[in-house]
Amino acid sequence: MTKKRTDNKKTVRSTWYKLDLSAIVYPTLQRRDFSSVYRLSVILKEPVKPDILQKAVDRTLPRFPTYKSAIRKGLFWRYLEPNNRPGPFVQRDINNPCMPMPFKANNRYLLRVYYYDRRISLEAHHSLGDGTGGMYLLQTITAEYLRLLGASIACGGFVLDIRQAPDPGELEDAYMRYASAQVRPPRPSEKTYRVRGTKEPFYTLNIVNGILSSSEVKKVAKTYHVTITEYLNAVLLHALLEKQKSENPYRLLPVRIAMPVNLRRFFPSKTLRNFITMIYPSIDPRLGEYRFEEIVLHVHNYMQYYINEKFLRGDITTNAATQRNPFIRIVPLFLKDFVVRLFYTRVQDKNSSAGLTNMGALKVPEDMAPYLERFDICMGQPFSSRTNCAIISFQDTLTIGFASSIKEADVERYFFQKLVRDGIHVKIESNRK
Amino acid sequence: MSYCVHCGVELDPSLRKCPMCNTIVLDPNNIPWSEASSPYPDRRGKVEPARRKDAAIFVSVLLLTISITCGLLNRLVFSRNLWSLLVIGFCLVVWVICIPFIFYRKLSPYLAVFLDGLAVSFYLYLISRLTGSTDWLRYLGLPITALFTFLFELFMLFTLKVNRSFFSVTLYIFSLISLSCIGIELLCRNFLEDPMRLTWSAIVLTVCVVFIIAIVTILLLPRVREEARRRLHF
Repeated sequence: MTKKRTDNKKTVRSTWYKLDLSAIVYPTLQRRDFSSVYRLSVILKEPVKPDILQKAVDRTLPRFPTYKSAIRKGLFWRYLEPNNRPGPFVQRDINNPCMPMPFKANNRYLLRVYYYDRRISLEAHHSLGDGTGGMYLLQTITAEYLRLLGASIACGGFVLDIRQAPDPGELEDAYMRYASAQVRPPRPSEKTYRVRGTKEPFYTLNIVNGILSSSEVKKVAKTYHVTITEYLNAVLLHALLEKQKSENPYRLLPVRIAMPVNLRRFFPSKTLRNFITMIYPSIDPRLGEYRFEEIVLHVHNYMQYYINEKFLRGDITTNAATQRNPFIRIVPLFLKDFVVRLFYTRVQDKNSSAGLTNMGALKVPEDMAPYLERFDICMGQPFSSRTNCAIISFQDTLTIGFASSIKEADVERYFFQKLVRDGIHVKIESNRK
Repeated sequence: MSYCVHCGVELDPSLRKCPMCNTIVLDPNNIPWSEASSPYPDRRGKVEPARRKDAAIFVSVLLLTISITCGLLNRLVFSRNLWSLLVIGFCLVVWVICIPFIFYRKLSPYLAVFLDGLAVSFYLYLISRLTGSTDWLRYLGLPITALFTFLFELFMLFTLKVNRSFFSVTLYIFSLISLSCIGIELLCRNFLEDPMRLTWSAIVLTVCVVFIIAIVTILLLPRVREEARRRLHF
């Protein structure tokens, strides 16, 4: 949204952005000890020079106006407005990533840039954009950083030209363009198994990163006749089933994974903001004991059935209906916050046992690839005591990052043990002491 | 390179035990873990504390301004009686209610409710001073305030310490409504010197008891509870 007004012959340009459909929910869930923050990292082949990185951030960020912004409260909705305060400043990395991000701290920036040894990490609040948008920003910063060090990096793929003005398509709320189905499929609302564990003290996020060979995983997935995502989804479901069984529960509950799907694959859009929807592959152990092959087949069939343009359009329409409803629109923000928070904690959060996201195989400009070793991803702190899993791959390195706020790492253990049993070599890195 | 003998995964040289099963790395030929640099730094981050000072200052200044201007108006223009005490007292009640939300978030909820009760009692005392009658304060105002403070304390206790599920909270609310109605009717009758018996509050009590029994039944039967949760979720 852009408004121009003339004031004493000077044109004052005031710009603001409506939050997109997904972004509306994330600030509502904000707590003193929780923010919807995700982290993307790139590991270079040389140690990072912080002063050059700061210069690269300063030069790149104006190209991403929705990331160089602050969140504000209106009477009915929150919105983003340009943030011209100094920053964000690059800082040495910390042991506990994805810390809560209060809206008024950090000069009101909703992103942080860290460096540590050869790693550059970008943490962004989900209300600014999804992982794809964040990846555009991280790769553009990295390309600019390498350029400042003397490398010649062409634009293309996730690297945007910082001399160009932002394309209006990059700033759009793409959901509204495609929310046009005539029916609104209901959301799943069954209570599912939730991982129980000992809560870690505030400011602790346990990370377990598994580093694998993409080709090895692909080979194993092929033996089950499925894709890497389907295979890893099945492994996570298997791990959750094992975890539930080990607890000898009074009664079994279905195990369900919340998995974001990148809608750009199905609906053309250049947006750098959120454009994802959730699907929920699940297994109900009350129906009987599932063998791993059956889980893989079930996940494969589920994905084939749900991940297509028609179903996803229906899902977007369901989500958009609430925002379009005129009665909901005129309800004051504090009431909306109360209802959304209540709905999320009572229903939505109980809908899934774990989260899993797959950024897929990343492409970078050809002349940038020799400077990079791999990418890491961390889905951030889970809202309740569960574990979140995020996958990313670059060339032949596939990284699987688990993040949780509980002491026990049983799900991670069952997950990686299954991969090892399937003959995949796994290297583990962790911030757990 | 070291492997976890339990999980079968290769461990980063900086790890002294498997982060998933806590099995200690014992590899005499390997580089000691302390020499290898960890991919994660030791420095722990802390969030910059959020500034609530602005809201606290704004609310305090606003309430203080209202109190002072009304006080001056009362003194200089409309000086027939001390009506400004009502406005000043009201501002004080609002300020006390705001304490746990914007001034001091760590305030115990029990203490906050108690302070609210005190503030309301003080406000009622101001009204009685202004009207010159104290009977209603002694037999009606203060007892009702004390009753509500006590019931809210009980509500906080049950919600924070016992159970705060949707059905439990609904159960507490119905119990609170029935008890407060009984209390109000008995106190009113006592004040009016009527015989002590229940009339209108008995109707409220009957309706509440029906709901309370229904909720207790739902809570005691897990299958009914699940079914009700599914059908009533919003």
